[in-house]
Amino acid sequence: MTTTQTKAIDIVKRSGKRPTEPFNSDKLHHSVRAALLSVRSPEGEAEITAVAVTNAVILWLETKPEVTSHDLRRVASAHLKKFHPDAAYLYEQHRTII
Amino acid sequence: MAKKQKFDYDLIVIGSGAGGSAAATIAARDGKHVAIIEADTFGGDSPNWSDIPTKALLHAAQLYDEARHGARFGLRSSTMSYNYPSLRAWKELAVQRTGAGGNRKYYEQQGVDAFHGVAHFITPNEISVNRKHLSAEHFLVATGSYWLPPDIQGLDTINYLTPRTILEALKPPKSLYIIGGGTTGVEIAQLMAIFGTKVYIADIAARLLPSYDSEVGETMERLLHEQKGVTALTHTRTLAVEKENIAKRVTYTRGGVEHSLRVDEVLIAAGRQPTVDLGLENAGVGYTAKGVEVDAHLQTSAKHIYAAGDVLGRHSYTHTALLESRIAEHNIFSKNKLTPDYTATPRLVFTYPGIASVGLTEDDCLKRDLQIKKAIAPLNIIARSNTSDFRDGFVKIISDKRGTLLGATIVAPHASELIHELALALKHNMTASDVAVTPHAFLSWSEAIRVAAAKLS
Repeated sequence: MTTTQTKAIDIVKRSGKRPTEPFNSDKLHHSVRAALLSVRSPEGEAEITAVAVTNAVILWLETKPEVTSHDLRRVASAHLKKFHPDAAYLYEQHRTII
Repeated sequence: MAKKQKFDYDLIVIGSGAGGSAAATIAARDGKHVAIIEADTFGGDSPNWSDIPTKALLHAAQLYDEARHGARFGLRSSTMSYNYPSLRAWKELAVQRTGAGGNRKYYEQQGVDAFHGVAHFITPNEISVNRKHLSAEHFLVATGSYWLPPDIQGLDTINYLTPRTILEALKPPKSLYIIGGGTTGVEIAQLMAIFGTKVYIADIAARLLPSYDSEVGETMERLLHEQKGVTALTHTRTLAVEKENIAKRVTYTRGGVEHSLRVDEVLIAAGRQPTVDLGLENAGVGYTAKGVEVDAHLQTSAKHIYAAGDVLGRHSYTHTALLESRIAEHNIFSKNKLTPDYTATPRLVFTYPGIASVGLTEDDCLKRDLQIKKAIAPLNIIARSNTSDFRDGFVKIISDKRGTLLGATIVAPHASELIHELALALKHNMTASDVAVTPHAFLSWSEAIRVAAAKLS
């Protein structure tokens, strides 16, 4: 199962202290999948959900050439919430929880 | 002393429609360094896709319709016809003549730097437009709203029309199903019916134009049906749409019974959503799906960011957006803050007869539990009705027990002009008696206002 390919999108990193980097859908996919696995979601379900969330974010990015990493986290967790609220909470709050 | 931070601009306005353009041009005229960002067509919805093109077409349609029915005045006009491409050319000319419609140079001539692209907040004082970072001390969010298709089964499988795309059609459809019986739906229903389209207009409410007094919806429903053959489907929920060869089949439920209808086109004229997806979180601006949250001075939760127009999710009138834009600009650069006064804001429907309303409706008064007096003057009791051979319509005035005006509704030719007398009276807390003793010219439609006011005084 693969995610949709995207045009070049720049991600402005947190606080703008680190250099801007191109959007990497695999990175997003892995982070969503990791959040799902950490709340003990079955591996197959985690994979399917991660792909759905990544594709929803890619669709949202269609008209946006540049967003912040915070935007990505916010939009991804909003979509993840529909599938798995616990994983979405963990995904959104990971910096304060870990 | 802390060094003052330098920004690229004093003010960046996001959105070049009515909510943004007034503020941008006023600030630039006052010597401020201003930029305006537009994601779609410069000038916004009003000159490009809604007010100007719709009213230009409605004017031509109403002229054609009136001339066609001129036999009763002794006019030989039964062979009248129209050329739709020429009508579209007239509409384009009207848009072009506004100056602002689709014209980026208009803003540059006003001393405003114009950028085309989607604006996205990166930090509270910085936005990204096509990867270009622009900073400003102040921002005005005036991104407007967009048509959001309702949740109807199969809607994503057909090419439905919106009030924007129907104006670009090469010819009027043979039949049209309109979802939404509000201002836009009713205007387009009359426009298309005049050009020969069989129109069905569906709304879940009990009457057309549900935000107006009940007499308005009932009168318009009757006139549209009797004169234009429009079928008004009130109390109707549209369930599903599907393709049927080159046409569309619509399934709806009315009075608990399911019906189905075959039409050429489906138009969605219900549900506008404010455009709030511009990274407002990164700027600390509070908002909900209903719009950006502002205080009485149009200031958002971020003190340097203001908002105006449809993005607030309150009213959807160009004149309201212009008022808010001017006030937001004043409040941004002035310590003496102003509050927009919506008391006497007219609400208009540009049909024939026209519909205009100001202040409270009867339903508003009921909700507020106000003790009211009301009077209706039918148009057919005044002399102008006889000379113009026009008998439908009325003037309705609502006052409190002491006679102070609370609201008014007019259904009449030139209603959009007539309403301003009552708007002025309402704004200055005048009584019905003040209006009634003011001389109104014989053979003007405004005599009906005097008659209605006299009934209350």
